[in-house]
Amino acid sequence: MRVPRSERILAYVILIVMAILVLVPVLAGSVTAFKPQIIWVSSPPTWIFEPTLENFEFVFFTRKGWLFLRNSLIISIGSVVIALILGVPAAYAFARFRFRSSKALMQWLISLRMIPPIVVGLPFYAMFLYLERGLGVGLRDTFPGLIITYQTFLLPLVIWMMRGYFAELPAAMEESAMVEGYTRLGALWRVVLPVVWPGIVATAILNFIFAWNEFFLALILAGNRTSTLPMSAGTYIVRTRVEWGNLFSVNLIIMVPVIVLTIILRRQLVKGLTFGILE
Amino acid sequence: MGETSTMNLPAASDNSSQPFSNRLYQMTQRHRHWFFIAPALIILLLVVIYPIIFSTGVSLFRVTFASQSRPFVGLQNFERMLGNDDFIQSALNTLYYVFFSVSGSFIIGFGVALLIRRVTAGKELLRLILIIPITMAPIVVGLMWNWMLDPLFGLVNWFLGLLGIPGQTMLAQASTARLTVVLVDIWQWYPLVFLIIEAGMATLPRAPFESARLEGVSSWMIFRRLTLPMLRPVILVALLLRTVDAFRTFDLVRVMTDGGPALTTETLSLYLYRTAFTFNKLSRAAAGSILMLLCIGLISALMFRYLYRDVEVG
Repeated sequence: MRVPRSERILAYVILIVMAILVLVPVLAGSVTAFKPQIIWVSSPPTWIFEPTLENFEFVFFTRKGWLFLRNSLIISIGSVVIALILGVPAAYAFARFRFRSSKALMQWLISLRMIPPIVVGLPFYAMFLYLERGLGVGLRDTFPGLIITYQTFLLPLVIWMMRGYFAELPAAMEESAMVEGYTRLGALWRVVLPVVWPGIVATAILNFIFAWNEFFLALILAGNRTSTLPMSAGTYIVRTRVEWGNLFSVNLIIMVPVIVLTIILRRQLVKGLTFGILE
Repeated sequence: MGETSTMNLPAASDNSSQPFSNRLYQMTQRHRHWFFIAPALIILLLVVIYPIIFSTGVSLFRVTFASQSRPFVGLQNFERMLGNDDFIQSALNTLYYVFFSVSGSFIIGFGVALLIRRVTAGKELLRLILIIPITMAPIVVGLMWNWMLDPLFGLVNWFLGLLGIPGQTMLAQASTARLTVVLVDIWQWYPLVFLIIEAGMATLPRAPFESARLEGVSSWMIFRRLTLPMLRPVILVALLLRTVDAFRTFDLVRVMTDGGPALTTETLSLYLYRTAFTFNKLSRAAAGSILMLLCIGLISALMFRYLYRDVEVG
């Protein structure tokens, strides 16, 4: 597209201002994590100081941040693995087999994206409570309990994203493998999955980000044993004051892995964020 | 033998050897997709549909966490909810939130998508910086902006101070709190609109635009008559996703204002959470959440119908 010089300069100016509006709060906040306590809240802000790791040490060891990190990792990775195990075969069927209810089912899956978390969160809390009192099955504040509930938003997304990746592959691929004697499942496992691998990785990463950032269901259903990193951030807000340096250390621990993953994923991001509706 | 031939399938030719296993084979072939789909479907029924049914049930009784007795009360919880000023207030707040957050993020996101096409060097880097907010947990975004907006040491007030404007307590005043939270929500989510619109524009055919330009059509007319109509499905997807997300907002408001001051920022999710867990009125919260579900279901169904009219989804 040929663009007049003045128009291009104007575009640069506006976009750079927008980028600054993103970078300033993110960087200025993150820098606070490396500030010693006396200048957490200095005004005007102190820009030149001796960076320290004492906030991270405090958060990670004194306040048991490593436990929250461990919980977040277990819950996020666990729920993504389960979502992939359940979702990938389903996505394959939607991409390959023609059957009457396939379109209606795919639309139903999109509609699940619209459900507010409170609508499932409330009954989950009550159901877990009744299970505990009635049958002695404790799911509240356990990893399996959270991993199951996270399927409400992970599983539909996995199916939609993976269906797109499967549909891109030619059906002749596994058909010729089946002629050579593979069963349908064998062909899927030995021939299709190795090729669709990058799509699985992209799906896994995006779902990991959603699980990692999740706050609401964890707030209702997690407890002392399973508290996640986003929940631990709230513990640095005391009624009268906020421990800003510590808080931003937690924020950084939450944020950095996701930003790294986003850079890896950036080409596939739109597909996941739009639920693949746009294809 | 005659039974197998009535199946009328090519594989069922004239084999008289194992009619039953053959029929079984064909049946499994015809329904093989269910073997792949069933596990996922069963889990989804269990974690989405069953809770909703359960919640509907709870809303018809009077259930609290404390008491064991659960009398049937019919639609009383729904009546109580609809007659409750705080519920109505939070519904109106949510509408305000949805309207301004969706339109704000849409306009800015669309604008950025148009601008970034005019840029050459540094495009990748700009895009990468601009999408950082969507990847952040809403709770992190809220805490970060609390710090930015602090009346004593926040960067925003420090900056306003340089311009000679005295310190503001935007989150503590009823008149500004709502707008401030919405602005932060826009800050986080306009990049989503930008990404969707940009992806949509990349798929547009070039030919009609080039011929229009050759015929000397003004760029405004090209935008109105070509770009906008061709982007319609993409625009609808962006609006739909933004609407459902804004409608259920919880995390951001929870950490920024927690519904205050004086309930001016209380969204539906926040109000229902409080009804259930602070005031221990589970049934009433369940009734409210069912109303909320019906509401968002209606909105998205309407938008979906509109979307389906001109694009094949899936």
